Amino acid sequence: MHTEVTWGLLIVVYLFTAGVSAGAMVASNAAFLLGGDRYERVARWGAYLAPFPIAFGTGVLLLDLGSPLNFYHLFMTLQYKSPMSWGSWAILLFTLLSLLYLYLWLPPRYQVGHVIKRVRAWKGGLAKGMPILAVSVASYTGVLLNAADRPLWQIALLPELFLVSAMSTGVAAVGVAVALSRRWRASHEEKLSLALVDIVLVGIELLIFGAMMIDSQIGTLNQQLAYAVLWTGSYAAAFWIMIMILGLVVPLILKIVEVRGRLPWKWNEWVGLGSSLLVLVGGFFVRYVITYAGQMTGWLR
Amino acid sequence: MPKIYTWDQLFSRRQFIKGGVAAAALGAAAGSGLLHPKPGLGDARSTVASTLSGTKYVYTICEQCVWRCGVIARVENGVVRKLEGNPDHPNNAGKLCPRGNAGIETLYSPSRVKFPLIRAGARGSGLWRRASWDEALTYTAEQMKKIKDKYGAKAMIFNSTDNLSQPFFETLLKAYGTPNYGTQRSLCFNSMTTGFLYTYGVAQPGTDYANCNYMIFSGRNLAEGISNIETQEMIDMVARGAKVVVLDPRFTKTAAKAEWLPIRPGTDLAFFLALINVLVNEKLYDAKFVSQYTQGFDELTKEVATYTPQWAEVQTEIPAGTIRRIAREFAASAPAAIAHPNWRTSNFLNSFQAERAIAVLNALAGNWAKPGGLIPDQSINTAKLGTLPHPSYPAAVGMRLDGVPWQFPMVPLAYGVLQVMRDNILTGKPYQAKGWLISRQNPVLSIPERQKTINAIMKLDFIGVIDIMANDTAYYADVILPESSYLERYDGLVPIGDEIFIRQPVIKPLYDTKSSLMIYKELAVKLGLGDFLPYQDEKDLLVQELKPYTVSLEELERKGHYRVPNFKEDHSKDFAFQTSSGKIEIASGIMAQMGKKAVPTWEAPPKPGPDEFYLLTGKTAQHSQMFTQDNRWLLEIFPENKAWLHTTVAKKLGVKTDDMVIIESEVGKIRIKVYVTEGIRPDSVFMVGGFGHVSKGLHFAYGRGASDSALHKSLADPISGSSALSQTFVRVSKA
Amino acid sequence: MTVRMGFVIITSRCIDCDACMVACRAENEVPIGFTRNWVTDSGAVGKFPIVKQMFEPGNCMHCEKPSCLSVCPTGATYKRADGIVLVDDTKCIGCKYCIEACPYDARFLNPVTGKADKCTFCLQRLEQGLKPACVQTCLGKARHSGDLNDPESVVSKLLNRYPARQLSPDAGTRPNIYYIDVPVAEIPSGT
Repeated sequence: MHTEVTWGLLIVVYLFTAGVSAGAMVASNAAFLLGGDRYERVARWGAYLAPFPIAFGTGVLLLDLGSPLNFYHLFMTLQYKSPMSWGSWAILLFTLLSLLYLYLWLPPRYQVGHVIKRVRAWKGGLAKGMPILAVSVASYTGVLLNAADRPLWQIALLPELFLVSAMSTGVAAVGVAVALSRRWRASHEEKLSLALVDIVLVGIELLIFGAMMIDSQIGTLNQQLAYAVLWTGSYAAAFWIMIMILGLVVPLILKIVEVRGRLPWKWNEWVGLGSSLLVLVGGFFVRYVITYAGQMTGWLR
Repeated sequence: MPKIYTWDQLFSRRQFIKGGVAAAALGAAAGSGLLHPKPGLGDARSTVASTLSGTKYVYTICEQCVWRCGVIARVENGVVRKLEGNPDHPNNAGKLCPRGNAGIETLYSPSRVKFPLIRAGARGSGLWRRASWDEALTYTAEQMKKIKDKYGAKAMIFNSTDNLSQPFFETLLKAYGTPNYGTQRSLCFNSMTTGFLYTYGVAQPGTDYANCNYMIFSGRNLAEGISNIETQEMIDMVARGAKVVVLDPRFTKTAAKAEWLPIRPGTDLAFFLALINVLVNEKLYDAKFVSQYTQGFDELTKEVATYTPQWAEVQTEIPAGTIRRIAREFAASAPAAIAHPNWRTSNFLNSFQAERAIAVLNALAGNWAKPGGLIPDQSINTAKLGTLPHPSYPAAVGMRLDGVPWQFPMVPLAYGVLQVMRDNILTGKPYQAKGWLISRQNPVLSIPERQKTINAIMKLDFIGVIDIMANDTAYYADVILPESSYLERYDGLVPIGDEIFIRQPVIKPLYDTKSSLMIYKELAVKLGLGDFLPYQDEKDLLVQELKPYTVSLEELERKGHYRVPNFKEDHSKDFAFQTSSGKIEIASGIMAQMGKKAVPTWEAPPKPGPDEFYLLTGKTAQHSQMFTQDNRWLLEIFPENKAWLHTTVAKKLGVKTDDMVIIESEVGKIRIKVYVTEGIRPDSVFMVGGFGHVSKGLHFAYGRGASDSALHKSLADPISGSSALSQTFVRVSKA
Repeated sequence: MTVRMGFVIITSRCIDCDACMVACRAENEVPIGFTRNWVTDSGAVGKFPIVKQMFEPGNCMHCEKPSCLSVCPTGATYKRADGIVLVDDTKCIGCKYCIEACPYDARFLNPVTGKADKCTFCLQRLEQGLKPACVQTCLGKARHSGDLNDPESVVSKLLNRYPARQLSPDAGTRPNIYYIDVPVAEIPSGT
């Protein structure tokens, strides 16, 4: 049994932030394309948020490298079999384009000259293209682990789990921003929509975990042992408390309460904010638990 | 005022580096555990490039234990990179054990004593001042002269352990004129050597593993107490399907390859007496051999009549059926069957009797000088070295402090009883010892009852230590004369069969150290005894040792060994037993003469009281006695010793592996981590010896594990003088 | 026939002395705290007094389908024509992906070089016609190496004569270390 941790907290942060960025980007794109002006604030905040978590995460990743000064080798080649290779390209592209996207969302006085006229067209183009990149980046974090030969990381639904978790954390991050913002505070409709989307995403996440639990009963012995680390093993406490209860079930209930809107307005505000923060915490622990527990699982000799 | 150093300062990297190669090697070794890190380290290709320049291969002899394996050292630009077994060496046939492989780390260890040290505070304070060789040797000689003038030479004790230059140390002590010489023997194999000496007139017969079909080990754990070629032969023996039986209260790694009999500690004697009983009763012995070469068989028949397998079952807790089966299997395989002489069977006071029983069992099997049996004394078939002329030794006046022969009349003079010597320093009887000169030995950790040894040291006027590191005894010394490590020095030549092997410097000494040959010589000169060691330098000595042969020293150095031409093995004396009767003495003449029962006889061992355990001690393959625990490469594979407890015992105590327990005997108390296993008798606790160092001069070993010598009682078998290391009972409690 | 370098390890001949680990450390200057090879010890298995114990030496398995290779983002890990899997230090960025991907935990991040580190089959020795350090020093003649495709090699001869197994076949990397557990009385001669 493998007990040392090779990929630690820095990697967890990297996986988490990439997801938040991807989710925020998709939220912005969707709001812009589907909601138009009514969802302007969500679209704007998504655009403003998207580049930064992933840039921070990438910086953190560099710290984790054994030879950080050698990192440019990532971009001297494309190893199509290596998720990290195409993932790095995807993240690079995503980060650059999300910066451009952000630029396009800046108030006009920060933009230069003739660009202004074409802004809307460019925004539209990017908003249509970025989701593809964002989904790549979000599922990449799952595929990354998937490809490393460890039983827990080879769980079939891992990329899907990470993708959904990325979207929900991204939406939650935007939710927090628009709830706190003074200048571009969200409308009631926007908040409700964000909450509804989060309800759906968190629900899907719960379904994925449910599917995993079924899978864990029918899989190979290697997989059963791997799952056991989550359900009953050394990461069971973190899994059940931080992910299932605090990260999924509680925010799900709170979001439903928020959507039903029976609480006084001020309270509802706090419920919305709190549940979004919990979704973020839960998303972080999804990465944390899977990354750490995965390293404890090995193949039977 | 000379500068006073603490141990930490002595270890400091910047303090004493002499520059050049030493600096690079040392700095790297101390810093990262690498010698000479270079760019592209993980890339094999760059390593290849570096081997192309400045590489030489040097033949030498290992000293990571006392077995003397042949080594080929790869030296690149003055840095020793790799040690490999010499395929032409009979002791190891090209292989090195983990300790041998780790010799480089011994050489480059930051714990090396780098120049002579004279104590600058109280004994054991760890304060030292640097001295020149002249000053340190003058100081040592003056102390020794003072003791001799005031109290006589006998007040000075000399100690050493088996090593290539030991004969020259012995010359020094004989020239000095003291009767007091301590070696490791009584702590190790006295019961075996004495038992076999009294039976065959040969202290240590060899064993023909290659042709043996049935082997009973009862105190030789070749998988963990590695004697290189013997270990290889044992593995081959198991692989070809020969039967191996292991008597041990602990499931050793040798037992893992054999039939394991978890015998009750101290009862090996009963097991062997019962085997003899079966062989005699069922007439399974070699009658022709017995009548031709032995005496005392009838007496034996009478004695063993009651030692039935059923009787032995009660003693040993091995089923009678198993004992009978093994006796029959053993007899059926004879003469290619050996009850191994071992080093020290069960390590009880009755071990001498057990060894006698083993010796007799082998005689009944008629395996002497037969394929697959015991091999007679090989010293007659070993090339003889040239000797050095010296004046006649002064008479050693005075009774021996180790009680031989006045207290231990039957212990062979050469073996001595080290633990008693220590006790008599404390008692001051029959006279008070005043000084102790120790070369390559560590009595503080090796003799039972560590605290007594430390107290004994404190009582002396002078204690001097010659070693490569500040071992636990050096820690309390007045002067440390630092020896060059085995990869930096010459030692006396080693003849093995018809070949002569050389240990030679692989690189120049890294520090201001000397070979023990020169330390002994220069000390002799300061004592006015220089004529006894008549050589100018090491090479001069080796040339004299090579005088009977045509080979030059240069050629020997180049080839590593020399085969004596036309050497004829002499087997004419194989059956000329050096006993009083000239036969194999089943009934020992000496024992009879001393008024003791002449044939092997049962001596019941004491049993632990309620809540007490047998304390067992033994070896691990990764360390040698008590002198490799500072080696970081070996610590990587065996970082500390733990107390083995049976699962049921651990459960009762409420401890699991790596929890701490307190182990307490009549004489001491230790704290140690637990190792929980099904591989030990529930009435026993086992720990590997050699850990629990008290010297802060052992940078990496200090504070690791615990010392069995802190727990062992000092017991000496009155016949062989052997220390009964396992006849100590302990209590265990959760820490 | 192409060359396929691999190991055959006879567990019945291993006494867990760990000489192979020290020899490797010396030969390859492996920093303290890390190792390129190992011997696992089952401990006493069973109930006193009926127990047994197994020792299982190992190192990089130089797999046919190395997962370390496929995950490497820079192409630093590569497989030579003779099957030996190596790391090109100039390209390695130390991302540790390969360390995670190896089902045998055969890799580590060398703190001195900042690169992924592992068994190189002692390439520097092979090029001089020598066996790897661990094989050379093995007291029990438990470790053997050579070309698994060459019928004249020790490893091929051993595999012809004795039943063998591979570790963790479920991981799907097709490792090139084969384990023989039965007694092997004589080691066949061969390359």
